[in-house]
Amino acid sequence: MPQPPETSSRRSFLRISALAGLGLLGTNGLLQSQGSAAGVLGSTGPDPEIPNEQVARILKDLFGDRPLGKGHISLDMPAVAEDGRIVPVIIESDLPMTADHYVKAVHLIVDHNPDPHLAAYHLTPALGSVALQTRIKMKRTTWVRAILETSTGDVWAAYAHVIVSLNGCG
Amino acid sequence: MTIGDARIRIPDRIARGDLIIVNAIVAHPMDTGFFRTAEGQPIPAFFIKDVVVTYGDEQVARFEWTSGVSKDPIVSFTLTADKEAPLTMVWTDSKGGVYRQSVAIAFAAA
Repeated sequence: MPQPPETSSRRSFLRISALAGLGLLGTNGLLQSQGSAAGVLGSTGPDPEIPNEQVARILKDLFGDRPLGKGHISLDMPAVAEDGRIVPVIIESDLPMTADHYVKAVHLIVDHNPDPHLAAYHLTPALGSVALQTRIKMKRTTWVRAILETSTGDVWAAYAHVIVSLNGCG
Repeated sequence: MTIGDARIRIPDRIARGDLIIVNAIVAHPMDTGFFRTAEGQPIPAFFIKDVVVTYGDEQVARFEWTSGVSKDPIVSFTLTADKEAPLTMVWTDSKGGVYRQSVAIAFAAA
């Protein structure tokens, strides 16, 4: 099984390459500071602070006092979302999906949305891998948390900071 | 598309054991309850809250959604195609509407 640092650096490299290819790197200070720090290199830097009591309660209810490790999950989102009504989300994990060890749930939490616990994906080994895509609404600029729970009770998290231009929640 | 129209897309050719990507979409307004009509009337919340994915007799995934998922929700996930069986998805909304779609997973001749 690949080790998390290799995987995340490979992913980071791929993402940086992709951004460089699009001419997005180094052209815009905002993109560089926000995008590369959070959205692109999701596994570096400190965890985002818990913004409010609502998010604190969601995390407590889901994971109790278990530590949230960083790694084994990636959260791909645009650094800047023009339209908060349709923001693409890609969540992937390098963890195995076998009968003994698998990812049993992935939770998507958007800190400053009216209902932050936006979605929960309950998975089984039959899926073979964790590669989820969807589109979500975002009210305003905020951190997004993708947190997975394994069948053995481990918890892994990834974060993305997304700048939202148009409120998609009303 | 009318509410509940759904489509599931899988690869054209599948061999036994392939890890395939499943793409699904269902037509639904996914109203949050926070918007008003042009006349100022509140639009009540109305959204898909539950999605169940079954492969043959086995429930392989279940998604719990809120109105934070975008209108006409899409979801994509992988599946190990290890048997010839129907893949069925059932979407249930917050007013009890139930929408179902199935595709047959069959293996191409080698």
